[in-house]
Amino acid sequence: MLEAVPAIADPLYLSVKLAFFTTLFIPVAALPLAWLFAFRRFAGKSLAEAFVALPMVLPPTVLGFWLLVVMGPNGFMGQAWQAVFNERLIFSFPAILLASVVYNMPFAVQPLRATFEKMDRRLLECSAVLGLSPLATFRRVILPNSLPGLAASSVLVFAHSLGEFGVILMVGGSMPGTTKVASIAIYEAVEALRYDDAFLLCLALVPASFIVLLAVNRMNRSLQ
Amino acid sequence: MLSRLYALPARLLAPLCLPLCLTLCLLAAPAGAQDLLMAQAANFMPAMEEILPAFEAATGIKGHAVYSSTGKLYAQISNGAPFDVFLAADEARPAKLAAEGKSEAPFVYARGKVVLWLPQPGVTAADWQQCLQRDTIQRIAVANPESAPYGAAAVAALNKAGLFETVSPRLAYAQSIAQVFQFASSGAADAGFCALSSTLTEQGRTGTTFAVPQAPSVIQAACILKSAPNPQAAARFVEFLNSPLVAEIKAKYGYE
Repeated sequence: MLEAVPAIADPLYLSVKLAFFTTLFIPVAALPLAWLFAFRRFAGKSLAEAFVALPMVLPPTVLGFWLLVVMGPNGFMGQAWQAVFNERLIFSFPAILLASVVYNMPFAVQPLRATFEKMDRRLLECSAVLGLSPLATFRRVILPNSLPGLAASSVLVFAHSLGEFGVILMVGGSMPGTTKVASIAIYEAVEALRYDDAFLLCLALVPASFIVLLAVNRMNRSLQ
Repeated sequence: MLSRLYALPARLLAPLCLPLCLTLCLLAAPAGAQDLLMAQAANFMPAMEEILPAFEAATGIKGHAVYSSTGKLYAQISNGAPFDVFLAADEARPAKLAAEGKSEAPFVYARGKVVLWLPQPGVTAADWQQCLQRDTIQRIAVANPESAPYGAAAVAALNKAGLFETVSPRLAYAQSIAQVFQFASSGAADAGFCALSSTLTEQGRTGTTFAVPQAPSVIQAACILKSAPNPQAAARFVEFLNSPLVAEIKAKYGYE
């Protein structure tokens, strides 16, 4: 039982690391998009909305295969990464992190957008009348008023990336200690008929996810 | 709150509704009684797709196969899935079923070969070991040796050639032999230890294949399940597997 600890601890640590960084990075990409969708009208808006929502309806393996091609040495992302960092992107931790961010976009954009749309427009009008620039309005009026929405979307994104499987299966390559997250380790354990290991990993993953959700929900409530 | 977050904008979902309903109606139609249900390891799928119609032409029995990984099929059979015949990618799992008293005696139905495959045509090297020494080969895809027999055979060859230690930091692990080919053919990996059968496909022929004689043949065993709903038809299918016609089909797809 005890000799199996690294085989279980490593993937769990990786899953938490992936979930943490995904949650950390996603507002950077999701906030501007949510703001665009909530407050701006532009040509092709519904196309853009549908495109961002695509990971919600696509099978993760389909998205994963597309990312595999784009992040590979011949894909544009893979080549850009190689040019900047002089190392391969595919089958590395940054690769699964990028995939995780792409996959989680709709789960971050939708709740944020809903929060923005619920906001009292008079607040925004006041802020404009008082001479704040749109950027300052966003930073000093919109953002503080949307913290609950941001927290709610973070909960979803964190929980989502903790159990992410299909996309990572495609772009991770199951490298021990780098991309072999808990969900992949569970899958492999079941395939290899190591049901005890699979059970132990699940045993660790379920309460871990639950505690995270409880904590973030509590934080969410205290913000409201 | 959370349930609302999952709600897609209505205008996104509306156009999806009709096709979705139609699809559901189509799926709800009865699939028709299957005469024979095979649990088939996915690597053998191309050959099986040709064997089944030939079997029906010869006997009038309609066969249907479910393609999945050996480990998953084993788990499904252990939990009472209604298959007649289990065609695995290794010998271990049919033997395990037989030991558990859940199947008849296993027999070998195919032998697969592991090869080293590169997506570019016309790569020259003395042999597969030399090919792996090239510095252009930064990532090598291999199937998970613990669950995929083709992966175990590839790792055995690397060990035999004394290359495993030097190569292991460059290995990327796939969950199945089909995914190894996917990793290599998409360029994500520079080379892959693929099944010979993958390299005989149209896309496989556009790359370069090196034989890996150090890799043991992947012996694929099958067994008739004790719980088979249709044991007579299953016995006829097993008999058919030994026919010259099937031998021809197997050779075409890279199996002995």
